[in-house]
Amino acid sequence: MTSQRTVARLSRILGLIPYVLANPGVGIDEVMERFGYTRDELTRDLNAVFVCGLPGYGPGDLMEAYIDEDEVVIDSADYFSRAPRLSPIEALGLLAAALAVSGAGQGTPALDSAIDKLSNVLLPEGEDALAVDLTATSDEVAGLRRAAAEHRVAHIVYRSLSREETTERDIEPWSVFSTLGNWYVTGHCRLVEDVRTFRVDRIRELTVEDETFQPPEEIPEPGVGYTPSDHDVRAEIELYPAAKWVLEYYPVELISETDESTTIRFSSTDAELPARLLLRLGPTAALIEGDEVAARVRELGASLKARYR
Amino acid sequence: MRNVVERVLNTLIYLLESPRPVTAEDIRRTVPGYSPDSDDAFHRMFERDKDLLRQLGIPLKLMPLDAWEVDYGYKVDPEEYAMKDPGLTTEERAALSLAASMVQVGGSHFGLDGLRKLGGAERGIAFEPFGADLGAEGDLLGAIFDAVVQRSSLEFSYRGTLRNINPYGVAFRRGHWYLVGGGQDGERIFRIDRIANVLAGDPGSFRRPAGFDPKAVLQAQPWETGADDAVEAVVVFDDDVAWWASRTIGVDYTNGVLEAKVPVSNRDAFIGWILSFGPSAEIVSPPELRAELISRVEAALSGVAK
Repeated sequence: MTSQRTVARLSRILGLIPYVLANPGVGIDEVMERFGYTRDELTRDLNAVFVCGLPGYGPGDLMEAYIDEDEVVIDSADYFSRAPRLSPIEALGLLAAALAVSGAGQGTPALDSAIDKLSNVLLPEGEDALAVDLTATSDEVAGLRRAAAEHRVAHIVYRSLSREETTERDIEPWSVFSTLGNWYVTGHCRLVEDVRTFRVDRIRELTVEDETFQPPEEIPEPGVGYTPSDHDVRAEIELYPAAKWVLEYYPVELISETDESTTIRFSSTDAELPARLLLRLGPTAALIEGDEVAARVRELGASLKARYR
Repeated sequence: MRNVVERVLNTLIYLLESPRPVTAEDIRRTVPGYSPDSDDAFHRMFERDKDLLRQLGIPLKLMPLDAWEVDYGYKVDPEEYAMKDPGLTTEERAALSLAASMVQVGGSHFGLDGLRKLGGAERGIAFEPFGADLGAEGDLLGAIFDAVVQRSSLEFSYRGTLRNINPYGVAFRRGHWYLVGGGQDGERIFRIDRIANVLAGDPGSFRRPAGFDPKAVLQAQPWETGADDAVEAVVVFDDDVAWWASRTIGVDYTNGVLEAKVPVSNRDAFIGWILSFGPSAEIVSPPELRAELISRVEAALSGVAK
């Protein structure tokens, strides 16, 4: 969206000006790093600032803004000597980030005092209007984070998310992150000789080895994306209104939607996940297509019925 | 088209520096870049620019020009525009820089954007192999958080029902953002991604009850927060999954089969959780929850009958 880009650009300019005014002679490298600028972007923004100012817009009315040798210079901009307030989502984003990190057991005294100071400014009377919990962080999360930071191999006993099987494997953990309410570790798995993402709560035992590994130059941005492949099991499922929440929980493809029903395509590495979902949904969903999934529903359903007899 | 960034900066400076409120016509005549010819084109541009200022969080006020309240003008009060300096030390800003680079909200680093108004990210932050995404739609979450901070009551539709709520706080738990607020039926919890058509009232329209703590929302498991009659279920977990269930519900476990008592007030969430163990877990009691699980399994089975 263009307006979002414009807002982001203006927001950065309104933060940049008071910083440079308060730090005369600041170096261009420092400015670029602090504000996430490339040299071209910085030049372009300074050029915009340079032609703005007080009504009249004569030479004496405009702000000064330019690069002098390796210094960034901004002057005659007293009205922008203080930074604007954070927008609500910026305020929330910053406070929530700090609370999340602190709550995940990664806090420091400096972070905690920063939270206090920010809360005083951003929340009325410093009230406690915001809480963040990244779900229980465990010894495993802490251990894997240490292993990733120190590039140490981790040995895990892992219960697969989609299959009822437990495996032991050595992994080279690159990053540990929380998303969709769970903790994950991504890295190179030596058992399958490929990149894998594991849910940390399914790790039954974790041993951080002394052996170190060489991480890749570029560690991919953490995230749990589902990458479709040719070997995927696919199922077409019709969801009735009571089951529509599935759309928010799983990376599914929307095929069609009416008030009465929603049809989705569910792709996964095996039939286990969609089969369990169908059992849970009971009468609020129907499998339209997917032989492998149907077979797994029958198997699971039969063993559940046997257990509850 | 003239550069919108320059036009908005010039308009903002004008609004900050003018001693009196200025009319739209004043702005049109003064600030370069506004269409002098077409009224329609000017109004479209001006509306867009006002919207940009609001999205930036700049308090743009419309106020009467005189006691008769015939004409109105715009003003940005420098005291309202500027943030109170929180007085962060370098160490504190470095800690925030690291946190903001680690945590995203719905795929965006809004925290880093905010930090740019506080002097930017501190330099030399080491790569941290640790991160989180607090998934959410930024616009909706921002609007609701703004109402919490401003104490504006909210009107919104929630699963098809219109609600009037005084928003007390927001909380993130297990992958979702929640709004905690008070209404006619007492304190309520809403999942923010199910809120639509939000309308905020005037700032300062309610007082938050003393002792309110959004952290209380964070304690419970999904099957403990619901409107169903509370029951205590007894569940048996086989030894291949017992270690995992024990961590979730926070009970001690060494080995073997685990029999656990689980408080349930959201039956749907409870049955979904138990079924996630496949045949390795069994509800022992109460009978109605056993029956509910079986009826779902049978419904699913009849759907895939050959």
